[in-house]
Amino acid sequence: MFDRRLIQNFDWVLMVLLLFLAAVSILNLYSATYAIREVGGGQVFAKQIYWFLIGFFVFLLMTTFNYHVLERFAYPVYFISIALLIFVLFAGRVTSGSQRWLSLGPISFQPSELAKIAILMVIAKFFSEKGGYQEYRLRDLWQPFILIGIPAGLILKEPDLGTALLLVVVSFSIILFVKVHWKSLLILVVSALAVAPFIWFNLKEYQQMRILTFVRPDMDPLGSGYHINQSKIAIGSGLFWGKGFLKGTQTRLHFLPEQHTDFAFSVLAEEWGFVGVVVLLLLYLFLIVWGLNIAKESKDKFGSIMAVGVVAIVFWQVAINVGMVTGLLPVVGIPLLLFSYGGSSLISTMAGMGLLMNISMRRFMFQ
Amino acid sequence: MKVNEKKWIRFRVYLVAAFFLLGMGTLLARAYQLQVLNKDRLAFIAHEGYVGTIKLPPKRGTIYERDGNELALSIEVGSVYAHPRQIEDKNNTAKQLSRVLGERRQKILKRIKGNRSFVWIKRRIESGQAKQVSALELKGVGTTTETKRYYPGKEIAAHLIGFAGNENQGLEGIERKYEELLTGSQYSLIQMRDALGRHFSISRPIPSGHEMRGLVLTIDKDIQYKAQQALQRAVEKTKARAGHCLVVNPETGEILAMAVVPEFNPNIFSKYRPYQWRNRAITDCYEPGSTMKAFLLAACLEEAVVTPYTNFDCEHGKYKIGSRTVHDTHKYGVLTVSDIIVHSSNIGAIKIGDKLGYERLYKYTKKFGFGRKTGVNLLGERNGFVRSPKKARRIDRATVCFGQGMTITSLQLVMAMAAIANGGKLMRPYVVKAVVDESGRVIKEIYPKVVRRVISPRSAKKVAGILEGVVSKEGTGPQAAIKGFKVAGKTGTAQKVDPKTGTYSRTKDVATFVGFAPADHPKLAILVMIDEPKGISYGGVVAGPVFSEVGLWSLNHLRVNPQIELVDKGTDVEQNTDKLSNPGPQKAKKPPVKVEAGFLPDFSGLGMREVLKKGRSLGLKVVLKGTGLAVRQEPGPGAPLKQISSIRVSFSPPT
Repeated sequence: MFDRRLIQNFDWVLMVLLLFLAAVSILNLYSATYAIREVGGGQVFAKQIYWFLIGFFVFLLMTTFNYHVLERFAYPVYFISIALLIFVLFAGRVTSGSQRWLSLGPISFQPSELAKIAILMVIAKFFSEKGGYQEYRLRDLWQPFILIGIPAGLILKEPDLGTALLLVVVSFSIILFVKVHWKSLLILVVSALAVAPFIWFNLKEYQQMRILTFVRPDMDPLGSGYHINQSKIAIGSGLFWGKGFLKGTQTRLHFLPEQHTDFAFSVLAEEWGFVGVVVLLLLYLFLIVWGLNIAKESKDKFGSIMAVGVVAIVFWQVAINVGMVTGLLPVVGIPLLLFSYGGSSLISTMAGMGLLMNISMRRFMFQ
Repeated sequence: MKVNEKKWIRFRVYLVAAFFLLGMGTLLARAYQLQVLNKDRLAFIAHEGYVGTIKLPPKRGTIYERDGNELALSIEVGSVYAHPRQIEDKNNTAKQLSRVLGERRQKILKRIKGNRSFVWIKRRIESGQAKQVSALELKGVGTTTETKRYYPGKEIAAHLIGFAGNENQGLEGIERKYEELLTGSQYSLIQMRDALGRHFSISRPIPSGHEMRGLVLTIDKDIQYKAQQALQRAVEKTKARAGHCLVVNPETGEILAMAVVPEFNPNIFSKYRPYQWRNRAITDCYEPGSTMKAFLLAACLEEAVVTPYTNFDCEHGKYKIGSRTVHDTHKYGVLTVSDIIVHSSNIGAIKIGDKLGYERLYKYTKKFGFGRKTGVNLLGERNGFVRSPKKARRIDRATVCFGQGMTITSLQLVMAMAAIANGGKLMRPYVVKAVVDESGRVIKEIYPKVVRRVISPRSAKKVAGILEGVVSKEGTGPQAAIKGFKVAGKTGTAQKVDPKTGTYSRTKDVATFVGFAPADHPKLAILVMIDEPKGISYGGVVAGPVFSEVGLWSLNHLRVNPQIELVDKGTDVEQNTDKLSNPGPQKAKKPPVKVEAGFLPDFSGLGMREVLKKGRSLGLKVVLKGTGLAVRQEPGPGAPLKQISSIRVSFSPPT
């Protein structure tokens, strides 16, 4: 099954791009944990290298089979992930007030990460089978809505607002991609606005606070608005050229919260300035454009939709995280993909990248 | 896939791409807004946590002697400070601090009583003590590290190095002269407010354009120590007021030792009087006395106005010049030029000087470097004084010939003697060999510099030959002789002007000996000056032994081979005294080393260099131990070469 053409079609650009991002991430993580290196910061840094190695292994693993296999396994995988999401609500490990983690012996992972890929698979399967290239109307869409709604609801219950939100916007991007009739689209948007108050009252109090402080960040500068204020100050004080590697004062002095996870971008922005931000965002942009190119060149609709889905995950994670730390969006705990510290998210991202590579490698093959 | 569908996908991809690009563009624009447009506002807020700074003294670069041993270094000490506003229980805090620091409780309490945001409790304490303080974990009390200058050698080269003050600023000597290079970046204790408004302080360097540098001196700490020790002893023995001893390398002008007595300890400099800090070897001028005759001789031989054998009548010790009479210590009749120098006849010197003429003598004293600074890069160097021909009266012209009526510094004198030693070149003396960075890498090296050629090598050789006679039994300085080496030099016993009467004192003298060794291949030029010795004050008697002691020790230290013919015969001096009682050492006619093919030769009596050369030519690894001449070897002579790969040879200084 591994014939020569596959090796020839190996997408080096994608590979090099990922290596670049990994290098930038590790370098930045070194700086972010430098101040706490005596209390285990070095461990964080070493662990991330180790996660990247596993990530690249998973990445290569995902290229070994033809992605059409996924079309067949879409529903089984989807149901397993739903089961795990339910399971985690009862047996999950509680960390900082939410139940997101499942422990399997020594390793623990977030079922929501698996759910992201599972949803991608079923939606891609649904849209590639139903309808050719005509416009979808609202009545055609009830099935995908349910497919997305169940896991999204379960994740919201954990509670993990960020990931639930991510699922919704990624799915929305795919629906946009497959073309929906404009009237249907309008109804969708209006009904979303209509349910907003309902969602608001169902949010936890701290989530409401976050949104309030987003609107008025100076309302409580040392309380809920603190994170975002400090992050903005860190980014802003980096100016054009940055303060230099390991020289960020906001980072060093721990003004910056969660500086190796959700706010890793702020560390980069403080130390490398606007120049560093441009370089990092261009790397992501290049990854997005390259991914869409793979979607365009894919020989079938399933591949295209899958590729667009992976790209949408990349885009929205970057947009939500960077939007959050720069104060454009409310604080929702989403790490910057391929950049923040975190094994579970890194491995699911690398699996997604593996899928992209898989689609890219098989774009010239006809079965 | 149908073509239609392909087209459809392409279009949708572009649509999504456009949307994503828009999103990324928004993020970039936001970053631009925060980092470039709003920069002043946010950068200001970033500094809002900042409250104030307290300046800490800068670190200083290390000063090394020539072999890399530290002469001056910065050590870390602790300092304790407090933020009084944050201290809740002031009484208890003061009590605990006083227990650790050994300060009075009331005194500490008074400091932290006020409502100031920052006070020092105690600075520059042992770092262990500071650790104890931080272990108390008192609220509002903190410790930081500072640096303090420390001189591990205490009195060693203290006058040369000088010292740095409380704020680590160079105050004297090299510490002051090279302040710019030695000073590192200043540290400041930045007081900050953290996210919850609590105060804390961090110490960090204030960025400055220059980096801290270290210095490597030309000083050899062993020779310096020996010079100080021998000089100190001589000054004590003769109950003199002060003394200098300078050791220089005549070929390069490197100062190997610069000893000044009385000494002081720079670690506790404030316990001494400022005049004791002064580096008198360059800041004090005095009349040199007869040592000047050496330079008179050099000028005359260079100008060929006399030969060493020209005769002069020394008038039996009394010579009238105008209304004054010049005396000699001993009465002499007719002497050759060479004998005039060896016996140090003043009258003879005047007559030689007359033949040369004062204009030319003046020109040569200037050429030898008298009356102007040597250019050594040190603080407070003086010129000295030589009367110009226009202003010189008859008597002035005469007295300069034996070194009265003019003043010099010790450094000038030893450099002038070094010029004779190295074949006629006046070198610029220097003490800083190299500038190094913090890790000890050389940034800049200082090379020897010839100031000017004073006399020809031929004349210099002739002068050296005559000066060798000075340390012979007949000369004025036999005490300066060094066993195993030829020595050339000149004694000087100058009268001092009594500041009270304004005339030459009968009791106050300056005793000097300045010379070099080995006379034919000089490695060292040494000056010994002793100011106002009590009792016998002749330069040869008072300063000569110090010269001999420092010279012998330093030559051994530098592993200069003794001259075998001298060892075998005993020195010149011994030969003259013990002609009968000592028929010469046992190996009067030592046969040359015979290298019998295949067997190890006998090395005994050879210098190190020869042993090495011979040993290596036989393909052996040679291990040397001790200094001087070979006395023992392992394996012994005659061992078959086939069985050995290395030999150990022990040396000991000739006696």
